[in-house]
Amino acid sequence: MSEANTNAVLSASDVIQCRNISDKKVGLFVTCLVNAMRPSIGFAALNLLEQAGCSVEVPQSQSCCGQPAFNSGDDEGTRQIAYQTIEHFEHFDYLVVPSGSCAAMIKKNFIEVFKEQPHWLARAKHLASITHELLSFLVDVCDFEPAGVKLDGTYTYHDSCSGYRSLGVYEQPRKMLATVEGLTQKPLNGHSECCGFGGTFCVKYSDISNEIVAEKTQNILATDAQYLLGGDMGCLMNMAGKLNREGHSKITALHTAEVLAGMTEELVSVKNAGK
Amino acid sequence: MTKQTNDLSRARIFKAIEDASQNTNMDKQAIDAEALDILSESEFARPQLLSSDASEALMMRIDAGLVIGTTCEKIDSLMNLPNAVKQFFSQHNLPSVLKVQALESLTSLSWEDIAIDVDIQQDNTVGLCMAEYGVAETGSFVVHSSANMPILLNFLPLYLIAVVAKSKVLHYMDDYALIANAIAKKGETPRNMCLISGVSGTTDIEGVLVQGAHGPERLHVIIIEDK
Amino acid sequence: MQVNKPENFNENVIKALSQPNLKKVIRRTTDKAESKRAEAVASFPEFEKARLQGQKVKDHTIKHMGHYLAEFEKNAIAQGTIVHWASTAEEASKIVLDICRQHQAKTVTRSKSMLGEEIGLTHAFDNSEIERIETDLAEHIIQLAGDPPSHIVWPAMHRSREDVVKLFREFHKDPTQSEEIVDLVASARRDLRAKFLNSDIGISGSNFLLADSGSSCTVTNEGNAELTITPPKVHIVTAGIEKLVPSMAHAVPLLRLLTRSATGADITQYITFHNGPKRPNDADGPEECHIVLVDNGRTKMLANGMKEMLRCIRCGACMNHCVVYKHIGGHAYGSVYPGPMGSVLTPHLNSLEVANKQTHACTMNGRCEEVCPVNIPLPSLLRSLRAQSWEQKYEPLTNRFFVNVFAQVAKRPRLFQFASACSLIAMKIFSRNGWIRFMPMASGWTRNRDLIAPDTNTFMQQYNAQQKAKKLTTKP
Repeated sequence: MSEANTNAVLSASDVIQCRNISDKKVGLFVTCLVNAMRPSIGFAALNLLEQAGCSVEVPQSQSCCGQPAFNSGDDEGTRQIAYQTIEHFEHFDYLVVPSGSCAAMIKKNFIEVFKEQPHWLARAKHLASITHELLSFLVDVCDFEPAGVKLDGTYTYHDSCSGYRSLGVYEQPRKMLATVEGLTQKPLNGHSECCGFGGTFCVKYSDISNEIVAEKTQNILATDAQYLLGGDMGCLMNMAGKLNREGHSKITALHTAEVLAGMTEELVSVKNAGK
Repeated sequence: MTKQTNDLSRARIFKAIEDASQNTNMDKQAIDAEALDILSESEFARPQLLSSDASEALMMRIDAGLVIGTTCEKIDSLMNLPNAVKQFFSQHNLPSVLKVQALESLTSLSWEDIAIDVDIQQDNTVGLCMAEYGVAETGSFVVHSSANMPILLNFLPLYLIAVVAKSKVLHYMDDYALIANAIAKKGETPRNMCLISGVSGTTDIEGVLVQGAHGPERLHVIIIEDK
Repeated sequence: MQVNKPENFNENVIKALSQPNLKKVIRRTTDKAESKRAEAVASFPEFEKARLQGQKVKDHTIKHMGHYLAEFEKNAIAQGTIVHWASTAEEASKIVLDICRQHQAKTVTRSKSMLGEEIGLTHAFDNSEIERIETDLAEHIIQLAGDPPSHIVWPAMHRSREDVVKLFREFHKDPTQSEEIVDLVASARRDLRAKFLNSDIGISGSNFLLADSGSSCTVTNEGNAELTITPPKVHIVTAGIEKLVPSMAHAVPLLRLLTRSATGADITQYITFHNGPKRPNDADGPEECHIVLVDNGRTKMLANGMKEMLRCIRCGACMNHCVVYKHIGGHAYGSVYPGPMGSVLTPHLNSLEVANKQTHACTMNGRCEEVCPVNIPLPSLLRSLRAQSWEQKYEPLTNRFFVNVFAQVAKRPRLFQFASACSLIAMKIFSRNGWIRFMPMASGWTRNRDLIAPDTNTFMQQYNAQQKAKKLTTKP
């Protein structure tokens, strides 16, 4: 894994290309799922953001975006969690999240629970305005184009609901993946159909969730792609977990950031070693 | 339900609305203005027509198969109507009997050996009516109930022929709404105003479309070139 | 068919998932509805503008609901219509039956009305001396079968052609011997024709109530509404108060949205405006017209921060596109209104206590809101209902416990990091070859799916270790 170098010196052309991003401070919110279940996504995010010329900090005091509480209807619990995120991230120029659902939570839903608290509402609104999902941030704000990434193979892309519908993430990952030498796309039938994860839903209504993801894996396998890519850990866990249970070990599920950060081969070999 | 219970419910409903509403102490004029303002968007929020000429657009829509179970033709004048009907009978292998709407302008035409007063309560009849208007946007004709327009004439027969004057074909449903409003202002609103856009149909059994569910199975629209 | 109750939603779901052919039957309807709607939207470039306009019409009317209701009443009465008000379903149902009894009606014909189902007219008539005749083909089928509706646009979508063949052979006076759908429809046409013409009272719903004229508008494809309403002496309309629009011109934008969103056609074959009883010399038509204006929870929605739900024009697009509905079907919801819109409506028409589970059977994917012709923020409304449910403690204790524990830990980031690290140690025990196939507390997941086995350390632990190592190596 390449060492994160937060003190990279940028050339003038880099600065221009990245629209003066280097003088902006980015706070990376890795998300609780990435933190516990897939640190490589966090490192990939760091890698890409720094390649894009950002100066990135990873605040120690981060936990969860609060979706489990929010989607359960526990507004007070959500507030308690949100206070932390606001306090520890509001001073950054950007808050970047390698997950559509967590980014949408912070960007769209914090304000929902602070309607009665004008002081916090204002701060939540500010935080919302600086919050970005990773892949769209790299393209839309940093104008980032990955360079020198090589990966022979085919991928199919699952657009997670929050990223796709709430945040308009669609072109950006595809644009960046198109720069990867040797990699071609196989379109996924029902690419924006829900995979059945739905956070608390997959636990509360696990049987319905299972039926939904079973249909999703049929569509994925029909593409015959080697890689299943997406921007949300929850969705990827769900689909990868079902694919594996069904015995389909050839296809590998990865976060787009992992591919763009050149981590694919290493992650695939780790997966295969696990067999 | 007694009048008392009814009044209570009425009061309860209005109170609940008042309690829940955020504003609005707007007067009727202001409310009407707000309502009118929304309509100003209509011209940008409706589909393009196939032609700027309304009757042409209507016929093009029907000819393109966009109006279920419907065919159309244009004739020069009402005088040619019996002949057009005769052709319709032969096209569909039908006996020369139908119910012509009891309008003088229609019944006084030279029907010759065609019987024009069949009982439409029987099965599988043909009906003919004079529409008030046509609407190009939706491929519709419009009928109004009256002393000589029984609404059932448009629903009981299996085959329906609707006659529309070219000058009465409107572009959009909005145009018809304006006319309905003008009629209302004169206090002449009929009991029923029907916008009919094709034949009766259903997809209730396994999603398969069947024409002639309860109403007509075939519709033929005849546009009369007037003036 | 047994009628499911909304409070038994979880059991209903299990039942639904275990029916081998249910999904096939559902998809036969929803797949077509989805693709036809997509085609209709694609060939209507102004669709987004129409959506915005439709939303404005509804929001404006809702904002001035009191005003428009009063206008409607005044103008309806001026047209000769008798106006009734009903706060509850029971009241509404009683009003309808009282009118029928006043006229000594022996038979009533009904055109399709979900509101009629909502207020329990089906049940009320079946428990009375009056014969109820459903005229909409789907309603006719489910009447013969004794089923509740499973979809608001295609109530009989759960019934196959074979089912219909059996039903018609049993119940039609002169049934077709053919099994072709076109002949089955003709059989129904024959069977119902005399019933239309001989009915004492015609009962319809309403798609739009026009305030400036006091009129009701029906939107149908079969023509059964007009056949239901015109022959009898009395016409009764039952309508929810949210059906109001200011005028016909305001109904037009909604008409543009309704059929495209529901079936993918540009328009329905029959749009009829009913403006009171027959005029003195009319060739046909009812002599007496009644309209029953029903609240039954609609003002509750206004008061409950859910006024957007009153925009609903009952197109059914949300359920056609709902990933959950497409797997469990309409009956599982145990309500007249299933799917996303039903999950918001039922807690108000019924109660949140009875219908809170449905609000959780949603992945919050947002497709329903995306296809709603009037932009109802359905996921957001469902989430608000979950919050109300949480406050009322309708959630099972175990759920509350876990969410509370999670929140208590998550609001203390350092503790959260520590707990996350500890959980990895626990998960290690269940990891085999990079996957977890079984783990206590996670059986909901591991029953059907594997779980990717995590690293030994969290991101934070690894990152901190790296930063530490870097400091050591870059020490001057």
